[in-house]
Amino acid sequence: MIHDEEIRRQVIEVIAEEFELDPVALTPEATLYDDLGLDSLDAVDMVVALEKKFGVKLANEESIRSVRTMADIFALIISLKPAGQ
Amino acid sequence: MPPHQADAIVIGSGISGLTTAALLAKSGRQVVLIEKNKKPGGALRRFKRAGIPFDIGFHYTGGLGNKEILRVLWEYLGVWPNITAVPLHPGGHDLFRFRKSGRSVRAYYSYDLLQEELITNFPREAGGIRDFLANIRRICRTVPFYNLDLPLTPFLRDYLTAGNRSLADVIQTSVKDPELQAILAAPALLYGIPPRNAGFALHSAVTHGYYSGAYGIVGGGQAIVDAFITVLQRTGTEIITNCPVEHITVKDGTVQSVIAGGHEIKAEQVIYTGQPNALPDLTAKGTFRPAYIHRLKDLEDTKSMFILFGKLDCPDDGPRLATTNLYSLPPGVDIMDAPSPGTAGETLLVTAPGRRDVSDGSDAPAANGVIVMRPASWEEAATYDLGHKKRRTGYQTWKEETATTLLTEVEKCFGDLCPKITPLATGTPLTFRDELGGPQGGVYGTQHNMTQFAPRARTKVEGLTLSGQSTLMTGLLGSSLAGLVTAGEIIGLETIWDQVLT
Repeated sequence: MIHDEEIRRQVIEVIAEEFELDPVALTPEATLYDDLGLDSLDAVDMVVALEKKFGVKLANEESIRSVRTMADIFALIISLKPAGQ
Repeated sequence: MPPHQADAIVIGSGISGLTTAALLAKSGRQVVLIEKNKKPGGALRRFKRAGIPFDIGFHYTGGLGNKEILRVLWEYLGVWPNITAVPLHPGGHDLFRFRKSGRSVRAYYSYDLLQEELITNFPREAGGIRDFLANIRRICRTVPFYNLDLPLTPFLRDYLTAGNRSLADVIQTSVKDPELQAILAAPALLYGIPPRNAGFALHSAVTHGYYSGAYGIVGGGQAIVDAFITVLQRTGTEIITNCPVEHITVKDGTVQSVIAGGHEIKAEQVIYTGQPNALPDLTAKGTFRPAYIHRLKDLEDTKSMFILFGKLDCPDDGPRLATTNLYSLPPGVDIMDAPSPGTAGETLLVTAPGRRDVSDGSDAPAANGVIVMRPASWEEAATYDLGHKKRRTGYQTWKEETATTLLTEVEKCFGDLCPKITPLATGTPLTFRDELGGPQGGVYGTQHNMTQFAPRARTKVEGLTLSGQSTLMTGLLGSSLAGLVTAGEIIGLETIWDQVLT
């Protein structure tokens, strides 16, 4: 089991790399659409990247539709408790 | 000399490229269609061996009945008058056969006849059979391509994903008899996704076309290509063949031009219909974000096949075959596994389009061509791979041995129904990788399965749109609809839907 803080760090790392964003901007309150400039086309890429990184299935999660901020992503991935790397 | 400028450039001349090009040309745009192969048509092309024409990819299709989508689309585009569609015999059917039990079951191109046949063969499963077929029809009533009163956009937004279960799951909860399970799973061979990964909604969308009535076309897939080319030439569309695209130029997030054969053509719209995984390498570094590139590169291909093209040892004017396609299946849902080395496996498909019993009995001349297919893994051919169209020594011998093993199985299984076959040519996973572009020789593009997201038509690059069977659905019908949706993303989805339907 990996700690929540480590999951947050890894979420920031994968999003920064895959979307070429500054990790410093990926604060919990940052909104994906307004603050980070992502759009609906990026949303699927985001799901794919997170599924691959953490070995979880997000596509059928109801809560994926209500994700607005980085904090929402942290909470979603933590709730699925990926079992280590 | 190719033009220097166009309104739209379509890359790839398979059915989705032809469809998009024809729709854009009809909207008044100046279109250039670029094809890397010597002849247009992609998987719809025909080739000849020993004077016999063979279809590479087209065997039969649904959607050509009055007021059905493919016919409506072809009528709108003006290609329909140049195509002679032949409904397969109303009592026509495929035949499923099981080696171990010797049971044969007819698969009619009709919900009612199919249901009756299945219940006769599997009376204890009557309830499950009715539910399963009713579920397919229920799902297809929500698909605008089958229910033309529905708008297109809401369907595409949630494309066949909401609450989806796997085909294997639905089959196994509906019926228990392993042979019946295999029969219900068999149409998965028409889109190349193993039933445990295939979504039931997609399965329904593909299968409904066949269960509602199947059609052959006089002259095969090539006749469709030729009809489109005639219409495109009439609109002034430039068709450039034998010309692989080298680069798609993008500036400030907007597409600028296509470079092919050392020649640059500028355009506001570029439509790419090739394999999605090859797209990033056609653009400059930095055009797409790593997330999208990784997504495209990681896409899993549909299953590949080993295909044998041969000649039936019977007179040209011999009898028509009442059965259209002969299937040998293993019991259970795992019908698409590649055979173990040195064997032909239990899943075989034999089709002789020239000897079909068509409804008017006279239209198509009988021909003795026969095509035999079985699932194949990339690995069994990969040892002979030396890159594009280059093979290691021993490839020819392996192909011949594989063909012999396959024909021995066909004779064992269908010797009572099918005359002896003389092999003329073979297609392997390497052939399909080189001809169709799938990284592992997939014959239906990218898998539209439950564990990955196939790309949609729109991209982050302004003016660059995708099409092809990897983007929406597979096969002739699926790829034609992919072409329609892609043109819709450019012209306006509901606009084009209304135009096509009225």
